[in-house]
Amino acid sequence: MAQQQSAGQQLWATPTRGRLRKVVTVVDEVLLELGRPVATPVRRVAAAAVIENPWAGRGFVADLQPEVEDIAPGIGRLLTDRLIETLGGVEHVEAFGKAAVVGLDGEIEHGGALIHTPYFGNVLRELTEGTSIIVFSDDRLAAGEPLTVPVWHKTAAATRSHYQTVQIRVPDAPRPDEIVLVAAAASGPRPNARIGDRRQDPVVRLADLETAR
Amino acid sequence: MNLRKILTYVEDIHAEGGRPVGPVARTAVVLAVIENPWAGQGFVTDLLPGIDEVAPQLGELLAPRVVEALGAPVEAYGKAAVVGLDGEVEHGSALIHTLKFGDHFRKAANATTLLPAVEKRAVAGGVFDIPLKHITDATVRSHHQSIEVRVPDGPRADEIVIGLAAAAQGRPQARLAPLATEQ
Repeated sequence: MAQQQSAGQQLWATPTRGRLRKVVTVVDEVLLELGRPVATPVRRVAAAAVIENPWAGRGFVADLQPEVEDIAPGIGRLLTDRLIETLGGVEHVEAFGKAAVVGLDGEIEHGGALIHTPYFGNVLRELTEGTSIIVFSDDRLAAGEPLTVPVWHKTAAATRSHYQTVQIRVPDAPRPDEIVLVAAAASGPRPNARIGDRRQDPVVRLADLETAR
Repeated sequence: MNLRKILTYVEDIHAEGGRPVGPVARTAVVLAVIENPWAGQGFVTDLLPGIDEVAPQLGELLAPRVVEALGAPVEAYGKAAVVGLDGEVEHGSALIHTLKFGDHFRKAANATTLLPAVEKRAVAGGVFDIPLKHITDATVRSHHQSIEVRVPDGPRADEIVIGLAAAAQGRPQARLAPLATEQ
């Protein structure tokens, strides 16, 4: 906790950095699915930071890079630390994802700038000891709209059992001039996952499917 | 008790009104989604057997979890029951308006006051606000606050969401005069 608070205070202490208003985490644990116990209980976590849009009120900004370098790593670390702490250690992070919700006065490109560069993604990947590309969602929304954030396996993205999502919602964010940045993780596969995997699939070709009809 | 899922929500406020909040203001909520113990039974006159069975289990489950999620001494608290569309609001009230539920939280939080509550009927994903008040003196105005939450896929029509909320402090930037100054 001390680390998270100091990160927040540090962001505040440096006016050029994105100002942090809120950090929200949600943990979703499924114990029964259609009345049946979940074979491998899984916890899905999303952590969200509400920051001022650093490009708010400036019209079209051509070069987004300076603010990205300034803001994304700190928020990336803050959120990833929260995921790892919530799941009880990096070994419990099996899947990861990320998201950005831009407030109504911003550009989607502003959210993309903050999550789709190494300054956010590499921090999330390294701290969770992952190697996969990180799956994502993004949107521009009014405050209080839920966002569904996908996650997939951190070292083997094609692991079908780990394709899943977690929903996050901050009741009063983003304001029109804010951005919500999200990191998400799951401790295991979907509840009662049972749809095989790429290695077990038969070869399915469109031509064969049409012939079978 | 058929417990389908548990949702934990933690909100840290770092700034309010454009000013930093220090220390960071934390509120935690833990929600349990359970099967309505009286689902499919029509109008049940005597709810006591269901209360005796389920309410203590919910208190035992939720109280330690919300205290742990807060990670700090509890200064304000509240509770919630959101009944799925086929149930009665009375079903939710039955499970939370009993010492068999609330005393678990009171004990875990070293609290003495009545727990403020929200009880309503809602569709899955419906938003609800849990009111919180000070744990030993419900007239402490700085600690009157609420937190807004929802469960994306609950309650189903035959389910109930039961929740506890805890705050480590009053409102961020609270600056209203004490109640006593108006008397």
